[in-house]
Amino acid sequence: MADAARQKWSLTQEALDGLLASLAPDRDIAAERYLEMRKNLVRLFEWRGSTTPEEDADEAINRCARKIAAGVEIRDPATYSIGVARMVLLEKNRERARAARPLEEVPEPQVLPDEPAREMERGVECLRRCLAELTPDNRHLILTYYYGEKGRKIKNRKGLTELFGLPPGTLRMRALRLRERLQTCAENCLQQNDAMAL
Amino acid sequence: MRPETADELSLVKYLLGDLPEAAQARVEDRALADADFRSALDAAEADLIDAYVRDELSAAERRAFEQRFLGSPQRRRKIAFARNLAQVAAETTAAERDFSTPLSAWQTLVGVLRGWSPALQLAATLAALLCIVGVSSIIFQNTQLRSRVAVLESQGRDFQAQKENLQRRLGDEQARAGDLAAQLQRRQTASGAQASFVASLVLLPGLTRAETRREQLVLNSSAQIAHIEIPLEARDDYPRFRAELRTLSGEEVLILGNLLKRAAPAGYLVSFDVPATVLSTGQYELTLKGLINQSVQEIGYYYFSVQKQ
Repeated sequence: MADAARQKWSLTQEALDGLLASLAPDRDIAAERYLEMRKNLVRLFEWRGSTTPEEDADEAINRCARKIAAGVEIRDPATYSIGVARMVLLEKNRERARAARPLEEVPEPQVLPDEPAREMERGVECLRRCLAELTPDNRHLILTYYYGEKGRKIKNRKGLTELFGLPPGTLRMRALRLRERLQTCAENCLQQNDAMAL
Repeated sequence: MRPETADELSLVKYLLGDLPEAAQARVEDRALADADFRSALDAAEADLIDAYVRDELSAAERRAFEQRFLGSPQRRRKIAFARNLAQVAAETTAAERDFSTPLSAWQTLVGVLRGWSPALQLAATLAALLCIVGVSSIIFQNTQLRSRVAVLESQGRDFQAQKENLQRRLGDEQARAGDLAAQLQRRQTASGAQASFVASLVLLPGLTRAETRREQLVLNSSAQIAHIEIPLEARDDYPRFRAELRTLSGEEVLILGNLLKRAAPAGYLVSFDVPATVLSTGQYELTLKGLINQSVQEIGYYYFSVQKQ
């Protein structure tokens, strides 16, 4: 019953205004904090393996806004929303447990379907193009940092810290940022190719 | 997968959902509050994804990974990228290895040949020479082809760069046009704001309450007074007038009696001022009545809406 009522409630303009006012008196600062809060919630749900991190984040925000609209004073909505998010996760886990079925009825575990070879080749081609845009140092760094298995990888990374004269933590951050940049570049490239094919 | 440090181990356990709830919450709270720690978590996630695509996870880790990672669209994109990166990194590193290792292979070959008879050594040398000539020819042709492809690729990149440059310039021009429009709007708003201490409205008679087209009175925050003018027809010849202002639901807002007509270039009109404070956003009905001796005669109904900003 309570669950049904919770699901029916949707964010009204008034409730959103209340939530923003509780984040900051200045509307622009409040909007920035709102976006930051939502980003953190999406991260949290993603870390916990949610299949719908964006929707779950919105559900947590709606619940905070409803509390504020009901007159509950929340001093730090961003921290409060994390607690609400964990409640949402608990509820989802309980629902999943309620829907538990005998082993023979359970579907096969989820496995990422193999990408069609052509699709993968397109992705690889875009990645090569994006790698070509990097400086030689950065290209060498990312290809070496993420190459190899277990021991080989550790050895590669040690070699890179010596080559670039960077502490391991800094090298790790630099490699991660490059990786994120490359992923964005490769995805944009694929989208552009798709758009051109249409 | 073997993480390098104890911290990384706990991050990997967190990512695989292998920590108790309280420990999970501790990792999350720290990651949300501390950008460096969050980056470490992201880095551990990248390594975990790489281990998955290289099939380095144990069966239990793999199962936990698939439960936690394959449901999220963003994480699936990360996995697809990791596969591509692993392939490109392997190709590149293999190519580098091929160039760096021939010396030891050569030394091995020389060692083997030294054990052969002179005739066999001669035959092997001739065969090797033939191979070298054949391979050189193939390499030469291959190099020519590669250089042609490189030229074409370079031209393609130039076209792409030109296209991007033009798009960037177009974007800049659009942004500049947007800025100019915004500046103009701001200036207009500013000059409007200075002059909008008084907001004016000229009303023409409406036919019915249901008439959809209504005059609109916009009151910005600086407007103190709403000045309303009602043009009169020749037959509206009364010594005095009364204006009754109501909301559409009939709630009385203001009644002004003893209003006098005044001459205007196009005839006569009745005008009066209404304090902005008595008007709120909504629909209004204004009734104009003519007063003569002791009798009151209705002249017309006027409908307008107020928009407060």
